[in-house]
Amino acid sequence: MSERAPTSGRSTQGALAERGFAGVVLGSGVIVLLLLGAIIVMLAIGSAPAFREFGPGFFTSFVWDSVNEVYGAGIMIWGTLVTSLLALLLAVPLATGCAYFLTELLPDSLRKPIGTLVSLLAAIPSIIYGMWGFFVLAPLLSAFFLAVSDRFVDSPAIYNFLIGISGTSIFTAGLVLAVMVLPLITALFVEILGATPVVLKESVYGLGATRWEVIRNVAIPYGRRAMVGAVMLGLGRALGETMAVTFVIGNATRWSPSIFNQGSTIASTIANEFAEAGFGSMKLAALLALGLTLFIISFGVLAAARALVSPRQG
Amino acid sequence: MADAAPVTPTGERAQISVRGLDFYYGSNKALKNINLDFGEKRVTALIGPSGCGKSTLLRVINRMYSLYPDQRATGEVLMDGQNLIDEKVDPTDLRARIGMVFQKPTPFPMSIAENISFGVKLHERLNRAEMEARVEWSLRKAAIWDEVKDRLNSSALGLSGGQQQRLCIARTIAVKPQVLLFDEPTSALDPISTAKVEELIAELRADFTIAIVTHSMQQAARCSDQTAFLYLGEVIEVGSTSQVFTAPREQRTKDYVTGRFG
Repeated sequence: MSERAPTSGRSTQGALAERGFAGVVLGSGVIVLLLLGAIIVMLAIGSAPAFREFGPGFFTSFVWDSVNEVYGAGIMIWGTLVTSLLALLLAVPLATGCAYFLTELLPDSLRKPIGTLVSLLAAIPSIIYGMWGFFVLAPLLSAFFLAVSDRFVDSPAIYNFLIGISGTSIFTAGLVLAVMVLPLITALFVEILGATPVVLKESVYGLGATRWEVIRNVAIPYGRRAMVGAVMLGLGRALGETMAVTFVIGNATRWSPSIFNQGSTIASTIANEFAEAGFGSMKLAALLALGLTLFIISFGVLAAARALVSPRQG
Repeated sequence: MADAAPVTPTGERAQISVRGLDFYYGSNKALKNINLDFGEKRVTALIGPSGCGKSTLLRVINRMYSLYPDQRATGEVLMDGQNLIDEKVDPTDLRARIGMVFQKPTPFPMSIAENISFGVKLHERLNRAEMEARVEWSLRKAAIWDEVKDRLNSSALGLSGGQQQRLCIARTIAVKPQVLLFDEPTSALDPISTAKVEELIAELRADFTIAIVTHSMQQAARCSDQTAFLYLGEVIEVGSTSQVFTAPREQRTKDYVTGRFG
């Protein structure tokens, strides 16, 4: 930082305050960066034994065996990605509809209160979502699949599949996550759709387009990049969600390719097993390595989101 | 007034007849008991100071206002015996019959040809040859064909402002409406482009019923047959353009057209 001589019109005290302020701001910025760096370094050091032991295979192995101390992140990476993608698959169409409803169809007087209600969904603590998922949604789902299975008694394959579906599963976790990321994505979509130039929209309406044709041909193409960014932010949230997922995913560390079976995510595994990991144990190293993996995935997603949401030209 | 065959003050058959129209932005009444006839294949200019309701009137005619839940209209806008502001009239169908050109050129971020075919595709299924013919037809009608025929597939955003506006006119014509609404179509254009658009409007009169909102009294005088002067949401005076500009009956009209206010 360059030294600046106090100008004649300013008091030395003002210049001093100015420099002090700059120092405080610089300090805050540096501290945040240091924290970020420290977390990465800590994770890297802590997880080193796991990577030394299992090598790059740690990321691709679908074995998580606490008894024999063989650890691979495959199941958790799979669970994390699948639950998050499932959540987006469900939440994005809903958020699009909801945002369009809020921006275009509601009278001004109702927009604020209803928009606030949607945002309030985001204020519900995740443990509440977890309890709702476990005590309400999961039993409902298993009852539902059980009821449906009755209709397929004649075809054993389908029947066995349906009856084997558990209330807590990767699918259930995806549902709960969808509800959790919905308000965030909706709020961002409202901003983006609201930014479509009115003249452009009206010219398309003026040609006799329906509301759907305007969304499809104008609003969405116009906001596409920003919408992708918003979805990535939702994905970032879904990837790291711990409490609600831990409640409803079943926390199985045995590999199953079906999303209707119990599974686990990176975050849920860490939350579940951290207490059992002794200091200096291979398990602790493996859990920290899981943490580093999640960090890398989230970091990548958020970086991509930032790149896409940043203001574009023309 | 006889319902059967409404006529304009200049004696032409009316294509659109506005009867007892009131319009509200929320609780604010922006148009008050408007009665006005738009002569078939004639140009009607709407003049008046900012905020007098002239653009609002255009937006009622093609029901653009109905996109906004806080805006509503009561009364009649009759076309072919149908009250256009009746909820039962499909607004997309109506807007195919009544096209609109806006203040600023709003080309879509696609090629010149696609800008034209986009609107057509909303209403008709044409094969390739038919679509090409339609694109050429509308570009010719809008007097821009010669300038763009060699670059139909390049982006419309590369055209000059005046060309963009004529492209927007072509795009509107391509849907084959009966009525064209121009909302200050030259307010963003330079004098040369403005002259071209005005010339174009004069030519389009042969095929379309035209309503044009303008701030420029010269423009109204140059390209319209009939002029309506609006003030504070009311039609103060309507008559042939030459009468309104040379021998206005109302003092307020006289003050406006002589530039004393507005």
